[in-house]
Amino acid sequence: MLTLYKARSVITMNPSMPRASAVLVRDGNILEVGEPERMQPWLEGQQFTVDEQFADKIICPGFIDPHLHPSMAAVLLPMEFITAMRWKLPWGDVEPVTDPAAFDARMQALHHSKPAEEPLFIWGYHQLWHGEMDKARIHQVSDQRPIIVWHRSFHELYMNDPAMSMAGIDPAQIKPGLQIDIDQGHFFEVGLGFAINRLNPWILAPEKYAEGLRRLKQVVHHGGHTSIGDLATGMFNLDAEAKALTEQLEGDDVPFRTRLVVHGTRLTQGGRKPEEGPTMAADLLRHNSHRLSFGHHIKLFSDGAFFSQLAQMQEPGYIDGHHGEWLAAPEELERHIRAYWHAGYQIHVHVTGDLGLELTLDILQKMQDEKPRFNHGFTFEHFGFSTPEQIPRIKALGAQVSANVYYLHELSDSYAKSGIGYERASQMARIGSCFAAGINTTVHSDFTMAPAEPLNSMWVAVNRISHEDQVMGAAEKLTQQQALEAITINAAQTIGMADITGSLRAGKRADFTVLDDDPLNCDPMALRDIGICATVFEGRVFPIP
Amino acid sequence: MSNSAVSSDSIPITLIGGYLGAGKTTLINKLLSHPGLPPGTAVLVNDFGDINIDESLIRSESDDGTVIGLSNGCICCSISDDLSKALDALREMPVKHIILETSGVAEPLRVWRHCHYPGFIPKAAVVLVDASNHAKRSQDKYVGSLVCAQVEQAHLLVLSKTDLNPGFELNRLTPQLSNQDPDLIDTLLEWRHIDETSEIASSSSLQPAFRTYTWHQAQDITQALLTDVLSTLDESVDRVKGLVATEDAGLLLINRVGDSLNMRCYRQSAQPEHLGLVFICRSSRSHEMHSAASGLGTSSIASQIARLDAGN
Repeated sequence: MLTLYKARSVITMNPSMPRASAVLVRDGNILEVGEPERMQPWLEGQQFTVDEQFADKIICPGFIDPHLHPSMAAVLLPMEFITAMRWKLPWGDVEPVTDPAAFDARMQALHHSKPAEEPLFIWGYHQLWHGEMDKARIHQVSDQRPIIVWHRSFHELYMNDPAMSMAGIDPAQIKPGLQIDIDQGHFFEVGLGFAINRLNPWILAPEKYAEGLRRLKQVVHHGGHTSIGDLATGMFNLDAEAKALTEQLEGDDVPFRTRLVVHGTRLTQGGRKPEEGPTMAADLLRHNSHRLSFGHHIKLFSDGAFFSQLAQMQEPGYIDGHHGEWLAAPEELERHIRAYWHAGYQIHVHVTGDLGLELTLDILQKMQDEKPRFNHGFTFEHFGFSTPEQIPRIKALGAQVSANVYYLHELSDSYAKSGIGYERASQMARIGSCFAAGINTTVHSDFTMAPAEPLNSMWVAVNRISHEDQVMGAAEKLTQQQALEAITINAAQTIGMADITGSLRAGKRADFTVLDDDPLNCDPMALRDIGICATVFEGRVFPIP
Repeated sequence: MSNSAVSSDSIPITLIGGYLGAGKTTLINKLLSHPGLPPGTAVLVNDFGDINIDESLIRSESDDGTVIGLSNGCICCSISDDLSKALDALREMPVKHIILETSGVAEPLRVWRHCHYPGFIPKAAVVLVDASNHAKRSQDKYVGSLVCAQVEQAHLLVLSKTDLNPGFELNRLTPQLSNQDPDLIDTLLEWRHIDETSEIASSSSLQPAFRTYTWHQAQDITQALLTDVLSTLDESVDRVKGLVATEDAGLLLINRVGDSLNMRCYRQSAQPEHLGLVFICRSSRSHEMHSAASGLGTSSIASQIARLDAGN
């Protein structure tokens, strides 16, 4: 059975034929992209349908987020969001809540909407907008229902008395000097670990986790994705995650495929040598199914978390003089990279600061000296801070960039004031330079670090507007064309799927994202508000209500 | 709630830190096979990978393979970088003292803060330093500041590979031991860091077997005063070392072990960062009770430090 999809315009991301008006599909694959009158040879003597439901829409290649974390998202998504930034979620837009009174009102509304006794988990609190939080403030909402308020950064939380008794936390047992302020119901740093260990029965309960993954599936669909990368499979527990992912993200009702990239150091944890890793990782390929597949990819880590200001920075470092952290000793990172480099893997390294990037570039240089490789796909993931001099090095070594461009929107103002100063803060995600240098460059959400909305990432990359409405690093803006490449063909390249998806041409899977407006010609500020009416995954239409 | 109540029923944690290759694993292996390891000691390591536990010592192993019970009444656990989870698990076991191997890239102070966990209290941060390459590594582009921070944040420094670099010593007031020291394991098991603000006033339940007192020099003193102070110290003072600026004899490097006092001129182009003295009271185990009960030494050192500050 053949289907001819007609559109107002088809954006192909095939540079040899950027635009068309129709796509002809058979058994989930594209037969031809172009004009319907030229497709007659395919149609002669065949049964076919002409599908006009997208006749006034724009068909793009299916969007791809090459770096997010389904397992982490599954933990967060069952919670209620009250956030200072907007989040478009399938079950409703989360409108920005930017002052303390509105935060309290929203807590009240959620409280009244829930059955009594059900614990209320809230995520997204930030003192910058929502004022100081404490137990008494939560008690004004309810001193009966367990309520847990989680900070936007995930690094601290507040609980009321019923929540503490639910979790079995006896305030009398908590002594001073700990990272717990029991009178305020405040748990932070290691105190947070203490709280999480006791909340786990509610957070990680199998039915909650499954519900979280079902919600993730909706989020991914509503963002317009048809492929994603799980960029640290096994971050909690490889077997448990693989089982849950198979149950929830495989099957005919799942409108996207997932590239599973295993967490390298977790894989060999427990006494295995890094040199055993490549064989162990290759063994995972036998678990591959239609939508879930490992490849010869591995994820490794250089420096600390961007949100916690633990990125390793070159001089002059942080304003307050603190240092970032290494997630592994440089020698250990090099040993892991060497093992996978020589085994022919595509290596993805988490780098956040310009010193973390410098170290990883130095190691990559050594690898190229030891065993030169072309098209190795070595990818710098996150790419928070960089220097202009590092851009040509990335190019010369044949590496690519996958940037969390959303950092720029949410964090550049505060990092300019209380991090590293305006110059470097405004130049985070230096991706205009990457495009200019001809480096394959994509953008990602690291969901739940940023909304899993490729159009939102595109909006940030094109406008570089901070949450205080300042243009940050205007010279690094992407064009709309570049930004759309970033979330389609370049992303496909990064997760090793450019042979099957990422653009529309004969022979690829019929993966589309169908838009109400043209993302290449619209007002750049309107990008993130373009309506997504459906996705098509391997020829099957999944409408977005 | 008083400080002493916190510590009396909290399990103490001794951190073993130091950069990759500084000898943490060697030290842990030595510790595990140490005949005097008190029962109830739990050794937490990042990964069993390189830990070498004598098969004959192993009594039991947990289902998930993260806890190994030893025949000497101790246990060895792998923490897989979730310290809070490991500590919550240890809460259920008859554990009296925890030895925690930190990751090679950890700053001891950050882990120290994490040891303020309900039911636990940090005791001392011991940091290993590789004598053969510390000078080079502390200048390294990537880990120089980390390695320096590890040394700065230590309460007890253990020097390894000194045979490759004889005479190596760190220019710091922090007590230093060689990893070949016959008393190494006993010393680090007993070493207790007392917060400087509370050390003089510590209550009897906190009496440690070892104490250090640090005097930070604010103004020059005379050599005569220094000599007088150093020769009239209480017998409980086992060791004094440091670098002192004098009006009449310039910078003096002080090293007093027992009754033998070594004082020599210190000549280096760069002005040292730290001036002062560290007094180490190391009660021998036989008269430890006596010294602990009477607080012997504490008032004497306090008055001597006051003399140094006053300059007379």
